[in-house]
Amino acid sequence: MRPYQVATAAFFILIAAVAMFDTRSGALPDPTGTAPGGLKSGWYPFWSAAIVAAAAGVVIFQTVTRPQPVEGAFKDRGSLFAVAQLVVPMIVVVYLMGEKLLGFYIASGLYMAYFALFTTRYRWYWALAAGLITPIALFLIFETGFRAIFPKSFLYPGLPF
Amino acid sequence: MEVFGNLAGGFQTALQPVNMVFLFAGCLLGLIIGVLPGLGGTSGVAILLPISVYITAASGPTTAIIFLAGIYWGALFGGVVTSILFNIPGEPWSVALLFDGYPLAKKLRKPGLALTSSFLASFVGALIATLLLTFFAAALADIAITFGPAELFAIFILSFTTLVGLGSESPMKSMMMIGLGLLLAAVGFDIITGEPRLTFGRIEILSGIPFVPVTIGLFGIGEILASAEEAGIGYVEKISSKLGFKDLIEGLDALRKRIVMVVVNSILGFWFGVLPGHGATAGSFLGYGIARQYSKNKENFGKGEISGIMGPQCAADASAVGSLVPMLALGVPGSPTSAVLMAGLFIWGLQPGPLLFVEHKEFVWGFIASIYLGHLLTFLMCLLAVPLLAAIMRVPYGVLTPFILIISVIGAYSINTQMKDVFICLIFGLIGYWLRKMKYPLAPLVVAIVLGDQTERELRKALIGSGGDPFVLIGSPLAAALMALAFALLLVPLVRTLRTRRQPASGDAPAA
Repeated sequence: MRPYQVATAAFFILIAAVAMFDTRSGALPDPTGTAPGGLKSGWYPFWSAAIVAAAAGVVIFQTVTRPQPVEGAFKDRGSLFAVAQLVVPMIVVVYLMGEKLLGFYIASGLYMAYFALFTTRYRWYWALAAGLITPIALFLIFETGFRAIFPKSFLYPGLPF
Repeated sequence: MEVFGNLAGGFQTALQPVNMVFLFAGCLLGLIIGVLPGLGGTSGVAILLPISVYITAASGPTTAIIFLAGIYWGALFGGVVTSILFNIPGEPWSVALLFDGYPLAKKLRKPGLALTSSFLASFVGALIATLLLTFFAAALADIAITFGPAELFAIFILSFTTLVGLGSESPMKSMMMIGLGLLLAAVGFDIITGEPRLTFGRIEILSGIPFVPVTIGLFGIGEILASAEEAGIGYVEKISSKLGFKDLIEGLDALRKRIVMVVVNSILGFWFGVLPGHGATAGSFLGYGIARQYSKNKENFGKGEISGIMGPQCAADASAVGSLVPMLALGVPGSPTSAVLMAGLFIWGLQPGPLLFVEHKEFVWGFIASIYLGHLLTFLMCLLAVPLLAAIMRVPYGVLTPFILIISVIGAYSINTQMKDVFICLIFGLIGYWLRKMKYPLAPLVVAIVLGDQTERELRKALIGSGGDPFVLIGSPLAAALMALAFALLLVPLVRTLRTRRQPASGDAPAA
């Protein structure tokens, strides 16, 4: 677990360093008296980032000097695969949900069907049912009921979604 | 008394048919969310927060808060079912129920008694806490209305240091998360001068990083990913989930015998919940500890002792209600869930804090009255629908997971109708998942994101008012006392570490 903890804290130090660099001009109280209340706009984010960096530094020190659990970040390859199985299709589907691509409803239906077919290993007709019922129900609730507008597919306006 | 008049008005508002329908819908959804192990009450409220925008547009913010809070009350009860019947905590706050709830249901073959004991304790705990909230929140708001920017800034600082000083996780990690939350809240236009900050030339983030997609990502998607890793849940042992009248009578008898413990735990749980950052989860463990400490049957704990069920459950519900007090009266969220509810108030155009009691009386008192009704409704639903709730556990993981993800996408998109918010939600989902794995607390991050802008605004208002003199921040006795308390809370982890080091080592040291 130690390398993962150190890497995580180091990543936060990097983020804090970028933020501190970007707002460095406001780090100190304004001696000219032109800034309202004596603080420039960069003061608050600069010191918030400084808190992140300082605390992350202490976390790294504690991680290196104190005993840590021997196991890694993931239980085994199977658990890593389970997460990847969820994350990768999720990113693809969110991309496809965009306007003039598949749109929200078609992409949602495909996502439901994909999961039912490949994760739950349902029979094809159940997967088809999940892929059809979910987007239709969502369309009726949100577009018809709440009059909310979600991204439409390249088939719009030929199809209502 | 004025409070009674206000409360009567609140009941009139809450009992309107539209509010009752949404209260019922919220409690039912909460029960379902509570039963599902992959989704927590906070996530449920976060995911459905954007839906509340439509409810507000149709029926007003009172209906929206009644609906969202109903989800919270439902989830508080729903987590009980899976803990007791399946030994799987549906919610973090029902973990303490595994110790005695499941043994009573399985080994002692009394699932009905375990469930009714828990529901009764929940109901009594929530009732006591709501009574305290009714009288205490308004009184606190009356005092808080006189606070200036320095005092409000000190309250915000105190809420952050409470998360560091009294949190169960690493204080430094809590500190990091607070810093990160404040940093994220600072992205975009400066609230005083209007200058862009941390935007790196990108106009998309000039308006800042929206906290709703961030919250949905951290809690909703992060939790789904975390539970995907633990998906070996598959095997679920079947225990009878029917409740009979006999179980209710037995439960009432058990409650009568433990009424003092339940009342004391509820009061303590309420005050614990009032402290920022301590919601139902911490309250439930506190309740279990107290119940065990003062029980005559200590040896029965862990084997199906009813006090081990009632103690944590009444304290959890009381803490959940207590966490609403600082949200309503001071504008400081008392728990991650109340932070999300508070985010809702901002979205609906309301400013949480003492003025809410003056400017939006109907909203506040309608909401308070709905807490009484919500708990009663959920209690009755639980007694009638346990077998149905237990059946939800059998909905396949492969159908629920993508559905929850789709609902999260809807939530993230709905606020600004922009796909970039959905991507922000996804990114923070991955961040939330990783932070969970690395044992970083998410509550300080969310509280800091929600309070970040206000903290800066009050700080700079105080400094502008004093011509840049920083001593204004400790200028009044109250601000100075709050700041001193905040500083003392920061020292708590240090004192704890020093005390642990001074104690002689017992047992073997853990392996490096």
